[in-house]
Amino acid sequence: MSLAHIDLSDPDNFNDGVPHDWFRELRSEDPVYWHGPTEFDETGFWCVTRYEDLKHVSSHPGEFSSWRAGTNMFTLDDESLEMTRTLMINMDPPQHGKFRRIVSRGFTPRSIEQLTPRVHELAAAIIDDVAGRGEAEFVTDIAARLPMEVICEVMGVPEELRSTVFNLSNRLIGFDDPEYQTSFEDAGLASAEMYAVAEEVGALKRRCPADDLSTKILHGEVDGENLSQQEYDSFFLLLALAGNETTRNLTSNAMLLFIEHPDQRRILVEDPGLMARGVEECLRYNPAVIHFRRTATENIKLGGKTFAEGDKVIVWYPSANRDEEVFDRGDRFDVTRDAGDHLTFGVGEHFCLGASLARLQLTAIFTQILGRIPDMELAGEVRRLRSNFIDGIKEMPVRFAPEANGGRSR
Amino acid sequence: MKIKVDYDLCEANALCMKACPEVFSVDDDDNLNLSTEQPDEPLRAKVEEAVRLCPRQALAIEG
Repeated sequence: MSLAHIDLSDPDNFNDGVPHDWFRELRSEDPVYWHGPTEFDETGFWCVTRYEDLKHVSSHPGEFSSWRAGTNMFTLDDESLEMTRTLMINMDPPQHGKFRRIVSRGFTPRSIEQLTPRVHELAAAIIDDVAGRGEAEFVTDIAARLPMEVICEVMGVPEELRSTVFNLSNRLIGFDDPEYQTSFEDAGLASAEMYAVAEEVGALKRRCPADDLSTKILHGEVDGENLSQQEYDSFFLLLALAGNETTRNLTSNAMLLFIEHPDQRRILVEDPGLMARGVEECLRYNPAVIHFRRTATENIKLGGKTFAEGDKVIVWYPSANRDEEVFDRGDRFDVTRDAGDHLTFGVGEHFCLGASLARLQLTAIFTQILGRIPDMELAGEVRRLRSNFIDGIKEMPVRFAPEANGGRSR
Repeated sequence: MKIKVDYDLCEANALCMKACPEVFSVDDDDNLNLSTEQPDEPLRAKVEEAVRLCPRQALAIEG
């Protein structure tokens, strides 16, 4: 059967959500598939769509490099590639580990657990603001707020700079969506503005060091030396970006799932003890990051195919998360299943540093939403991000029965 | 069976401890400790599960 009708390089093909029918075809017909060049991609790329193959690629960073050509689908010019390599996400071992260890202890499940009361308190305050109103724009009024508050708090970004960080993070990641960013030039501008924020925060932390990530990066050492200005800036930008946008989209995606599957929502409303499972199922079913790219460093065999050195290899997380070999009836959204093995946070060298923090935030916000305004429904059109990289929602008007006590939690 | 740990990769996610508490424990300082590097054969299935679950793929079994 020909698979030539499949075009995963065109962001328009993700306008109605991830094209799961295509991924199902790929997993069964040609799980390591050569996707020829298109109007959007001049080189062509390998598509890795099965669970075990994705795990293999991610766990062998020596063979599948993040550094050689970056982790995005598009090809970068030398100057952009140089810049991109200052971000930890585009490094390989051993360099990657040296940067990561500067902050990794702050993200262990034990460290994150200490934030639990504070994150629940922030989530309650966010729902306090909307619960009495009976309507909201879910993305701005709810989903966006907790990740921004939390990442800014753990990074030590002062109150008055938080909305700037939020707006810049939008402009930096929505590169396929004209509403957020019109060009790579604007991404450059937004980066420069974020670096200015990073330096302002850095100056503050130099005067008053605190128990936060910005202070850790500022004093962090790689091979006995402090980070350069550029390295500090990039580190700051990556944390701000990765901590904001992804968690917001996970939250909006999960809410839409609950709205579309009222029977599944009811299960969690009636038994909040299942919340942890429900959160994992939302993560499995609708990841925020759709793909990352690696580059083969040598000739490598995988799934009966041979990659040549320099080949572009794209791993597709939503596909691995519905692999029939691992998840029974993977296309079914089922909050009672044990979905914890999903690959939404990746695996191996670049396993999402913020996974525990994201899990905590999702648990906190949905404990509030399902406990206090459990009947939320759509009140208008859902507007999606135009992207084959981030599965996101830009706008989602919702309505619900106002909370009886006017929206104050206690 | 011998367990090999890549301590550069380990980030104390503690899923190994859930899968096989007889062998793996993560202490209050987020350090991974093994009760033995060569567990008895009856524990193999549990150790394999620990290896599989590690999000950083920091564990391996030799032999």
